[in-house]
Amino acid sequence: MSSRRELLCRAANGFGGLALMQMLARGAAKNGMHHPAKAKAVIFLFMDGGPSQMDTFDPKPRLRADHGKKLPFTPPTTVFNISDQILGSPYSFRKHGQSGADVSDIFPHVAGCIDDICLIRSMVADHSEHTAANYFIHSGSGFQGRPSMGSWINYGLGSESDNLPGFIVLESGLVPPGGMDCFASGFLPASYQGTMFRKGEHPVADLVPPAGAAAAQQRKLALLSKMNKGVVERFGEVSEIEATIKNYELAFRMQSAVPELLDLSKESDATKELYGLNEKITEEFGRECLLARRLVERGVRFIELLTPARPGLDRWDQHAGLENGHRINAQSTDRPIAGLLEDLKSRGLLDSTLVVWGGEFGRTPCAQMPDTPGAASRIGRDHNPYGFTMWMAGGGVKPGMTYGATDEFGYFAIENKVHVHDLHATILHLLGIDHKRLTFRYSGRDMRLTDVHGNVIRDVLA
Amino acid sequence: MHRNDYNNATGMRIWLSLLLGLPLAAAEGDELFEKQIRPVLAEKCFGCHSANLREPKAGLRLDTKAGLRSVNGKLLKAISYTDLHLRMPPAGKLSDDTIESFAAWLKLGALDPRVDDGGAGAVSKGIDLERGRGFWAFQPLRGGDAGIDQALAKARASKGLTAAARAGRREWLRRVTFDLTGLPPSTEEMDRFLKGEPYGAAVDRLLASPHYGERWARHWLDLVRYAETNGHEYDNNKLDAWRYRDYVIRAFNDDLRYDRFVQEHIAGDLLRDQRLSRDGKFFESPLATNFYWFGEVLNSATDSIKSKADTVDNQIDVIGKAFLGLTVACARCHDHKFDPIPTKDYYGLAGILHSTGMREVVIDSPAQAAAVRAAHVRAAPDTRNPGKTRIALRPGETMWEDFEDLAKNNWYASGEAFANGVRDGIVDSAGRGVSELVGSLTSKKFRMPNHYVHVRLAATKGDRSLGEREPVRLTLVADDFKSLHYLGTGKDEFEWVTYRMTLPYQRLCYFEIVDRSRTGAIAVDAIVFSEEKDPPPVENVEKADWREPASVAAVPESAFGMVAWDEAPGDTKLHIRGSHVNLGEDVPRHFLQVLSKQQAPLTGSGRVEMARWITGDARDLLARVWVNRVWKHHFGDGLARTTDNFGLTGERPVHRDLLDSLTARFVANGWSTKKLHREIVLSDAYKMSSRADAAMAKIDPRNEYLHHYPVRRLEAEAIRDAILFVSGGLNAEMYGPSVVPYISKYQDGRGKPRTGPLDGAGRRSLYVQVRRNFLTPLFLAFDYPLPISTIGARNQSTVPSQALMMMNNEFVLQQAALFAERMAGESDKTGAMYRRAFGREPSAQERNDAHAFLAGGGTLADFAHVLFNSAEFIYVQ
Repeated sequence: MSSRRELLCRAANGFGGLALMQMLARGAAKNGMHHPAKAKAVIFLFMDGGPSQMDTFDPKPRLRADHGKKLPFTPPTTVFNISDQILGSPYSFRKHGQSGADVSDIFPHVAGCIDDICLIRSMVADHSEHTAANYFIHSGSGFQGRPSMGSWINYGLGSESDNLPGFIVLESGLVPPGGMDCFASGFLPASYQGTMFRKGEHPVADLVPPAGAAAAQQRKLALLSKMNKGVVERFGEVSEIEATIKNYELAFRMQSAVPELLDLSKESDATKELYGLNEKITEEFGRECLLARRLVERGVRFIELLTPARPGLDRWDQHAGLENGHRINAQSTDRPIAGLLEDLKSRGLLDSTLVVWGGEFGRTPCAQMPDTPGAASRIGRDHNPYGFTMWMAGGGVKPGMTYGATDEFGYFAIENKVHVHDLHATILHLLGIDHKRLTFRYSGRDMRLTDVHGNVIRDVLA
Repeated sequence: MHRNDYNNATGMRIWLSLLLGLPLAAAEGDELFEKQIRPVLAEKCFGCHSANLREPKAGLRLDTKAGLRSVNGKLLKAISYTDLHLRMPPAGKLSDDTIESFAAWLKLGALDPRVDDGGAGAVSKGIDLERGRGFWAFQPLRGGDAGIDQALAKARASKGLTAAARAGRREWLRRVTFDLTGLPPSTEEMDRFLKGEPYGAAVDRLLASPHYGERWARHWLDLVRYAETNGHEYDNNKLDAWRYRDYVIRAFNDDLRYDRFVQEHIAGDLLRDQRLSRDGKFFESPLATNFYWFGEVLNSATDSIKSKADTVDNQIDVIGKAFLGLTVACARCHDHKFDPIPTKDYYGLAGILHSTGMREVVIDSPAQAAAVRAAHVRAAPDTRNPGKTRIALRPGETMWEDFEDLAKNNWYASGEAFANGVRDGIVDSAGRGVSELVGSLTSKKFRMPNHYVHVRLAATKGDRSLGEREPVRLTLVADDFKSLHYLGTGKDEFEWVTYRMTLPYQRLCYFEIVDRSRTGAIAVDAIVFSEEKDPPPVENVEKADWREPASVAAVPESAFGMVAWDEAPGDTKLHIRGSHVNLGEDVPRHFLQVLSKQQAPLTGSGRVEMARWITGDARDLLARVWVNRVWKHHFGDGLARTTDNFGLTGERPVHRDLLDSLTARFVANGWSTKKLHREIVLSDAYKMSSRADAAMAKIDPRNEYLHHYPVRRLEAEAIRDAILFVSGGLNAEMYGPSVVPYISKYQDGRGKPRTGPLDGAGRRSLYVQVRRNFLTPLFLAFDYPLPISTIGARNQSTVPSQALMMMNNEFVLQQAALFAERMAGESDKTGAMYRRAFGREPSAQERNDAHAFLAGGGTLADFAHVLFNSAEFIYVQ
């Protein structure tokens, strides 16, 4: 008997092609790969650029008290490395829900869901530069071209969808630094690479024929089918060729599945309002969130949502203009995220869907001052991978919990540190995967998403 | 201050000891250890650092006396969380009280009452090199001179297998033409062969085709993670990468001895007998060394020592795998777990690579340099006057370079632009006043001492948005990662340009002054290090008259290349557990011991000796790995299937004697790759049919005994090239700067280039620029390898995007239309198109289907499009 890895590999590469892969995958998905799964799908709300923890979910009164003073210690080298002057948060925090967690006033709707959320205030990453950090949060490596989390998960579990890729990235105008390699399948077969859906009528490249070529398609396919029958006679029964021929069938199922997915006309007005589709500021991310739910319903395993483009803002990367920038980013995403959580919950999907929120790192407690003295509105914060906040909801995570803590300045995680490798291990665990046993032989080593690291954070499991 | 634990007599005694500096009695010391220290160690540390673990973290066992003693020096630093990289326990800081207890215990002599077990703190199993040498890959080539068919026949017979029938001549020619040139045979070539051209003559013709070098260069580029940009945030350009690509094409077409090819990769800049290009204009050998630098480069590394270590790691990974089929990089953090490669060997190689830098230089041959010199000395006398000035330095400022003497900062000049050195306190790329001169000037390395660097220069107007592609610039390179470009504004005066040293501060830096422009020039007067934002005042003693230099059009062109050089050679320290902040002993630079007889004394970085070693002591493995790669590209799988891993975890060759005898002949034939191809493709094994017998397939499902020839899918580039060839859109132009890839509206992100033409100007795929962040989607769908490290065997997957692209992609549609247009004049269109696309006549049934299709409203372009989509187009029998 071949190992599951070999089977999957061969299935992806050769005989029987996709059918076998999907069959195997389904069998595994029901109960997880190594142990019973809590979550079947993951929605990763990737807050590209690095939201500031002390302005969102990790209040630091000391910063307000010491605003304008110098940090009492030498901070580590940062990307711009030009300030050690403490900056208090421009926003207020309030306690919410039964759990009583403090949330910044820029997230009023998410604050309303706080009892469904598990805040992790002690995240740690390895890189303070965007691109390496983006690769790291996605693939567990700061280098380019390693398999992304979504690829690993699909490699392990397969897709439950017959006609959609198992790893879909929804974008509305901004690709994170590092580009498509954030969603690469690396050394895993190309079948596991992330597919990016752009906003607009034709979200996927080459999905449909260009105008003018569409009419002939049926006719061409009919001829192609005849031609390929001849190829099989000529070449003999070769599994790879068989897979290539079958592949055209899946491609055409995708052609019709995607428009059906994007057609929101059957969603109720109440649903659309819930996601903020009727307001300009929330319309784009609201649509991403609603599509995420629809993808979960269609069996897609890993869905990643990217931060929408906002005029004059560079994602969450507010080296300058923090007060205004973070407020707008929060406004754009707050209602849609809360809508997604409520909608998943009311449809009974939240228990089996893990929602993860966060950026590639957090930000510094000290101000990055403009080169020339200017208005306070131009002040921002630099990158900080040493302590930041992410949160998870649903999918077998303890609701209403706050885990871990940073120091009083919010610079370093000091209590119950959760390294990105630990987060990955925990996500895989919730999907029924032992992160130490999801391996792929490359370069003479059994490679893992968590490399040689990672511990499942048992304290946050429901 | 409350300290509940110290309210007993011992506690008082301890505090008195601390206060008065009195020695502590042994019994009291023991109590301190047992009560305050050991319980914490047990609770917080033994989980990872215990002798009971199979692999204690960092090899450290804190439950032994020796183990604890070995870290006394850094214990307090680790637990007090003052060092960013060394923070223990990792899950969270100990309480302040506990930390104080440790501090007290250490200060009072770190008494440890446990029995000394004599064991070292760090576990080291060691590697038995002599035993390791017994492994097949490290053994000398085994005797025997069996030919391919002889060896396979014997092996098949032993399993009750027989070989498949001979393939038709058509199938063989299509197979061998794709294999050797990456293109299908033309209709004429097919006709000639069917009319009786001998097999051997066909092979000679294909090996002599310039397309041969293009095809095999692309295979080679997979091994050296070839890319033309740095990736990461802005995907900056790697200048002159294409010159390396051209070097490889020429090397294959010239059938350069493989051992020499490898030597040039390792030390092409240092070899005594440098090869010149065929036209005699530039040096070939140094171009090979560019392969060291195709790895990704971070945009703004905050920990540049780590980034440098990562770069070296990637270099070691590529050298190990590409040349020797060994995963040497596995020994970065610990001795290799399977192969006889101790960590020491890794850092022996790391020292060599840390001693190797890259610089942007002119690679003109002596004859070409002389021609440049001869052309420009005839220029009219230079009447430009830089003017006499006095720069009034302020307190704390340093004149780092006043350009009175280039020896002061060890500037290295290349090209005629800077061959004349300095005059009147400036350095000037126009030489004797001729703008056509090009060249570069590279300073020594130094640690950046200040926060501002002011440069006084006069240069042709630069364009900052061009970055590293700006042809006239002064660049500050910090730690090989961060570049700041000082550009001119084209005034006829000298002017200051200032940068703040935000990241370069305290890092290892150097300057390069570059003039690649035949119409531009740069002159530099001073480089000042300062803490002031504004440049120092300049007192003009005499006004400058600094006009554009003269033009002498007859100056011949010069060539630039990125070339390795030895910089401050030295050894590297062992990085304990691979950490650049946890350094061990110095490791003398050396090569892999398992493959070494005697270590040669090193000169410089050690690359010259390494080139000799890899083709000397390591010769048999080097040759085996290459022969296996060539076999892989002819038969789909290598004789050893894990082409990049000949170690214990790799697959052993089923036919080792065949691999060895083939390799021995390869070496005896002067390392000629072309002769190796000839032997392989003219064998009966290569001439077999691809139809497998079901009974044979049952006995040998993996076809390890080659009972039939495997059907193979074309690689991404071969698919695109075949489309261009068949459509008639192929532009056979060779060499030169790459074509910018076509960027569709679906490709986005930072560093996005302006798009190139949809059809890539018809050039073969290996001339499409490899932009890390913007790889061509058609290539990616068909398993184009990401340029991360050596990839000797690409994945072969089947994904819907392949079908979608072949059906809907605008390039494929464009080429289908072109194909139809070219065929419009043919009387037998169906026949002509089948011959072009598949190298054969259509069957009667296929003719009928085609006619029905065209009669039913399908256009000729539609028909061409369906041919491209046929499985026969991308699979070869």
